[in-house]
Amino acid sequence: MKPESEKYDNVLNLLRESKPVLDSTEDIEKEVIKRITKVNHSQLNLPEIIDFLFGWVYIGWVRRGLIAASILLVLVFVFQQGIILKRIGMLSKQTVINDKESVSTPTDEIEKLLMVYKNSGRRFPSKTITISEKQMKELLEKVDELKNKYKELENIIEGDPELKKLIEKKQIETNRTKINL
Amino acid sequence: MIDIKLIEECRDGNFNNFRKLVELTSPFAYSVAFRMLGNEDQAKDVVQETMVTIWQKLKKIKTSQVYKTWIYRIVVNKCYDEMRKRKRNPEFVADEQTWGVISNMISEGPSIALENSEISKIISILTERLSTKQKAVFVLSDLEGMSNDEISEITGISKSAVKANLYHARKSISEKIEKFL
Repeated sequence: MKPESEKYDNVLNLLRESKPVLDSTEDIEKEVIKRITKVNHSQLNLPEIIDFLFGWVYIGWVRRGLIAASILLVLVFVFQQGIILKRIGMLSKQTVINDKESVSTPTDEIEKLLMVYKNSGRRFPSKTITISEKQMKELLEKVDELKNKYKELENIIEGDPELKKLIEKKQIETNRTKINL
Repeated sequence: MIDIKLIEECRDGNFNNFRKLVELTSPFAYSVAFRMLGNEDQAKDVVQETMVTIWQKLKKIKTSQVYKTWIYRIVVNKCYDEMRKRKRNPEFVADEQTWGVISNMISEGPSIALENSEISKIISILTERLSTKQKAVFVLSDLEGMSNDEISEITGISKSAVKANLYHARKSISEKIEKFL
């Protein structure tokens, strides 16, 4: 079998001479452009954005400088915002505390401190009260002062029998009034 | 030959120049696609797909000589895809009447220009038993007039494989021609 036979050549010549005709190049053009523009729109085109923002600057190095400066500013802004947000987050987690000085307290005072903390926690929701160490110290001092005055008063009453009788009488009256009520 | 300047201008995103490129490229892309697929609509689809791919990858093209080989490669690969999809469809089988019509066309000689439908019919009948590679090699070599080196570059198969595929394709077609015409 010789492929170069006459019939084979005739058929091939006929096919070679008859080139397929593309009748609608315009349709293909339109369709291709349509598809390309679709693809282009769906993508973020950086050069177009840069042109839009800095197209008004005609000197090359000035334009490049502006682009660099704006990128730097944006980065600094983002960095700053990050720091601020982080700081706000940290502060919102903290419950107490303004005073930086550390106060050395004896053991019994720490117990008192704990008790006051516990009591304040029972009466109020813990998150609604914020109290500094300074305020706490003041409060404990007042409590001590009050205790001393109470002891002094007891001594005075013990030393004066008439006053003691008068007070006892008053206490009885007060109790009666409470019962009557 | 397509001017490299035109390609460079297209790279800058100029749609008008790309229209020109489509206009210049479509006919020979269509010729290969139509001869391989034997279907006008599918060939047009392949041309469209090819042009979109070209637009997306224009940056890779350095010379106009590379451009043509590159386009052929894209077209052939897209045709392979189409042929793979089509494998499930029943093949076109020629009856005696069709062979009679083809015989008449051939007897009239290469002076007559065949219509697309006639070209499609003849190629489909002659190449119906060929593998996709054999068909591609036959179309590129015997119908498009390319050398074995070019075909090897376009299809990505070795030169010896090109020769072997071409031999089998010619043999199969010759047998058909001898048998029916």
